[in-house]
Amino acid sequence: MSQFLLVLVSGLASGAVYGLMGLGLVIIYRATDVVNFAMASLATLGLYVAVSLHDHGVATVLGILAAVAITVAAGLLVRETVIRPLGQGQLFSALVVTMGVSLIAESTAGSIWGDQPKSFPSLVDGTVRWSGAALPVQSLVTIGVAAVAMTLVGYLFARTTLGSAMRAVAESADTARVVGLSAQRLARISWALGLGLAALAACLYAPRAGLVPTALVAPLFRAFAGIFLGGLTSMYGAVLGGLTIGVLDNLAANYVSASFRDTFVFTFTVLVLLIRPQGMFGTRTFQRV
Amino acid sequence: MVFNRSLLAKAALGPAAGAVLMAFMASGAIPAYQMYSVGLAAVYTVVVLSVGLLAGWSGIWSVGHPAFFAIGAYVAAYGSGHDWPLEAVVLGAVAIGAVLGAFLGYAGARFSVLYIALLTLAFTMVTLELVNRWSSVTGGDQGVPVVQLRSALGLGTVLGGGAEAQYLAVGAAAVVLALAVPAAASGLRMRLVAAKSHPLAARTIGIAPEAQSSLSFAVSAACTCLAGVLLGLLTGFVSPDPFSLSFGISLIAACVLGGVGSILGAVAGGVYLTWNPSLSSTVGLPQPVVQGLVLICVLLFLPGGVVPFLARPARGLARRLLRRADTRPAPPAEESTAPAALRPPTDDSVLLRLEHVSVSYGGLQALEDASLTLRRNEILAVIGPNGAGKTTLLNALSGLTGNGRVSGTADFAGRPLLRTRATARRRLGIGRTFQHAEVFSELTVAENVLCTRRRITGRDRAEVARLLRSVGLAEVADRRPGELPFGLQKRLDLARAMAENPKLLVLDEPFGGLDASERALLAGHIRRLHAGGTAVVVIDHVLDDLFSVAHRVLAFDFGRTIGEGTPDTVLQDPKVRSSYLGTVDARTRPPEHTGERGMIRLHGIGHTYGGVVALRDVDLDVRQGVVFGVAGANGAGKSTLAGILHGSLTAAHGVRETGAGVRTSLAPEGRALFKTLSLRENLEVAAYAGGVTGARLRERLEETVEWLPVRLRDRMSAPAGGLSGGEQQMLAIARALIVAPDVLIVDEPALGLAPALVDEVYDRLAALARDGLTVVLLEQLLSRAMSVCHEVAVLHEGVVAAHGRPGDPAFAAQAEAAYFGGGPEAGPNAAAAARASRVN
Repeated sequence: MSQFLLVLVSGLASGAVYGLMGLGLVIIYRATDVVNFAMASLATLGLYVAVSLHDHGVATVLGILAAVAITVAAGLLVRETVIRPLGQGQLFSALVVTMGVSLIAESTAGSIWGDQPKSFPSLVDGTVRWSGAALPVQSLVTIGVAAVAMTLVGYLFARTTLGSAMRAVAESADTARVVGLSAQRLARISWALGLGLAALAACLYAPRAGLVPTALVAPLFRAFAGIFLGGLTSMYGAVLGGLTIGVLDNLAANYVSASFRDTFVFTFTVLVLLIRPQGMFGTRTFQRV
Repeated sequence: MVFNRSLLAKAALGPAAGAVLMAFMASGAIPAYQMYSVGLAAVYTVVVLSVGLLAGWSGIWSVGHPAFFAIGAYVAAYGSGHDWPLEAVVLGAVAIGAVLGAFLGYAGARFSVLYIALLTLAFTMVTLELVNRWSSVTGGDQGVPVVQLRSALGLGTVLGGGAEAQYLAVGAAAVVLALAVPAAASGLRMRLVAAKSHPLAARTIGIAPEAQSSLSFAVSAACTCLAGVLLGLLTGFVSPDPFSLSFGISLIAACVLGGVGSILGAVAGGVYLTWNPSLSSTVGLPQPVVQGLVLICVLLFLPGGVVPFLARPARGLARRLLRRADTRPAPPAEESTAPAALRPPTDDSVLLRLEHVSVSYGGLQALEDASLTLRRNEILAVIGPNGAGKTTLLNALSGLTGNGRVSGTADFAGRPLLRTRATARRRLGIGRTFQHAEVFSELTVAENVLCTRRRITGRDRAEVARLLRSVGLAEVADRRPGELPFGLQKRLDLARAMAENPKLLVLDEPFGGLDASERALLAGHIRRLHAGGTAVVVIDHVLDDLFSVAHRVLAFDFGRTIGEGTPDTVLQDPKVRSSYLGTVDARTRPPEHTGERGMIRLHGIGHTYGGVVALRDVDLDVRQGVVFGVAGANGAGKSTLAGILHGSLTAAHGVRETGAGVRTSLAPEGRALFKTLSLRENLEVAAYAGGVTGARLRERLEETVEWLPVRLRDRMSAPAGGLSGGEQQMLAIARALIVAPDVLIVDEPALGLAPALVDEVYDRLAALARDGLTVVLLEQLLSRAMSVCHEVAVLHEGVVAAHGRPGDPAFAAQAEAAYFGGGPEAGPNAAAAARASRVN
């Protein structure tokens, strides 16, 4: 039982990371129709900056803030220089361009900071004992921080005028234009928010996994699986999908086979999608002539 | 498939190049250390071709091909370890690839581009994990050798890593290229591209997108597995390293670089992939950086790819040279322009019988209890205002009702129609056209029609050429539809529907967006089709032209039939007449206190959409305090005018002037609310967009909520999608009011509303006008515009055909004539008289 609790908490902690990343992906996708493949590698740049600051004796929390700031700045730069010139509605081209950005960013990180794994500082160390299980505090902090971040995002979208405007653009860019909303400004805000969430997720993930230039590829793919499971345009779906994937991933690794985690996670996702192509919370669209 | 000489020559290019390359390799002209690279380039060419043609022809972007590549290589290794003959290894690998690919293609057809990317990504991840962990077969990280494969047919032995493998790779690539060339000219490719560029239209000509994507993915995967076998032989050793996900990205980069869907582009892509490492070391940057930069630059600056970019000027040059050589006069067009008279139907037997057919989407009843019979060789026109259910009726006939619920029975030529799949209805003999000419943009004009055939013979080509000549498209047969004006695209849509001589043609607004001469030409086509024995169901808003080709007219409103008659009598039915003109009780017009201040002035305004003229030379002057009406039938240009008056749409020609500090606000056609947002959020967002924030926003919000009817005030936190049509309209007007505009523009507020709600909406608009707000009202019903407005302009086909004041008794008749016929002399009676002489 204590083993199960441990696996569950560790699964929820991974899931919180995937959920945060997925939330970032969905926010950007809804606002600008771009599936941002470069999100993980841009966040990696942020992580390396945070590690360098930490090595120079800066507090971990400040390092994390710096990581978020760097990631957001890099993301906005990418959007303004290579995504915006593509024009509207270039779903595939935009995806491939972000793939190109991701190749460049990973390689740059590798040539500046080296390919050797670095350790990333935890916010807290130690464990707490609860019903016979020694739970790492970092996992609990991860879950807590992610929950707070998700709540804030929820508040922004549900309660503020800015959030309403962002939901409005996501629902229909055409109608938003008729009403006179500035799509570019909202797009920039969405990119900044999405990348900030990704950087935060990366900072929560990195202490457990260590830092190499490709460290965030695995959580990015799991976040993808999560958002497809959740329905691609649903923010609740992204969070719940990420949590589902995280828990399943850890359960499979502990009780099925540690060697076939990807097989288990992705087969599950594809099977769910074959039965329900629109995901758990997505809506079916119908083309009218 | 037709093998003409130029196609054979092109197909022979691949093997010829391969033979030359092999000769070079044998002569020692290629240094030994480059021999391996040449073989590798051949293998990569096959993979890039597989990925690129799948993307270009079927629109499926796969990141699953590294997995197929790996499967091929490991089958070679396994076969070599178990003494399988070469042929068995190749067949085995190809069969595995085809089966898995067919499954992925079938599953992927239900998904969008992004979902297919995830599906194939998952496939790659799973395959790579299996490869890494299943070490008893794959050797895990250590890899497995490919020692040799012996041919069972006695063609010799291929040693892993030996020179034979290099020759084999080049030879195989040559054969694959040689097969790809005729495939590119075949009906198969046309059907794939058709299914990709417009799945819905493809269904109406009998192409099932699922089957197409399954087939193309199977072929593509099989070729990649073959390339994997070659790679195993070429390297003599298989390990997981070359099959990473970044290889998948590199493959996409190579495809995009060479040109997606281009065969020569695939060769360029294969060469690029092989020598990318040397290129990177030459420029002194890491390999991924070079790849990323190439990817981004190509997409930004040469989105079509390098080969098509270079090929275009070359082809243009060739065409110019050929044209100079070709001095034969063009064959005369067979357009018999003399308008044949419409003959009465010759055959009295029933072709189509609909009984109580209803279609509903969720809670929306789009078509209710429609019944009709159509005789063979009869032309039936269906009329009705916007939203009456006309297009839904056509969609029910051609099977494009999507996830709508269809009930009732329909019988076509003695067979039940409603249970027949859309793709099978073409075979039954039903062809259809679309309101917006949904042609396949990535095929040429001739291919658009040819793709209706599964296998294309020389006779088919001749027949299609004749068909194109008959509709006047022979000159542009080799062009893409996108290069043609809208009128020609509509003709192409018609030609595609006419190919294979259907028994029933279903025409969706064929006259819409055409000018007068094009409409006359089209009417001629329809009459000739009828003379050839085809029955036609046609809907349109251009009544004059519609009636000139119809034997019988059916009128629809609110999803049900409201009247029936001949073209001469149907408009005399009071119910039908009122559905167009409206029956409005004398409404009290708000008192006019027109100031002299000009609010919006338009001068010489014209606008076009992709060659279709929406507005021409419009002059309007909206003065302060007026209720200004613009009346016009559907498609007359009202919404375009609304956008231009509002300022959110910039006119192509002419000048728009506004008075100093005048703020305009638009309640657009169809409300355009954000349905997932609450009522309050809809208002807030509009205020936010208008720059109203903070305390002022709260104040305006309160005032605007006060304006709303009580039943809405209680539901401010409910999503707007849950409101009824009338309530949505009220909210849309409130949303326009929240920025405190000086001029309120309301586009068709009565659209789709029940009469009582229309009254409520209009009463509220009148109240606003009474309080001094300037209102511009765009209205489909002339009588309604006449009853509430101080000044009315009648819009007909983008031109202000009449302009006056409803109080003026002479203006009423003038306005009605302008509404139907564009001018007083072309009124409905004159048109009816002209028609009577034609029909009988």
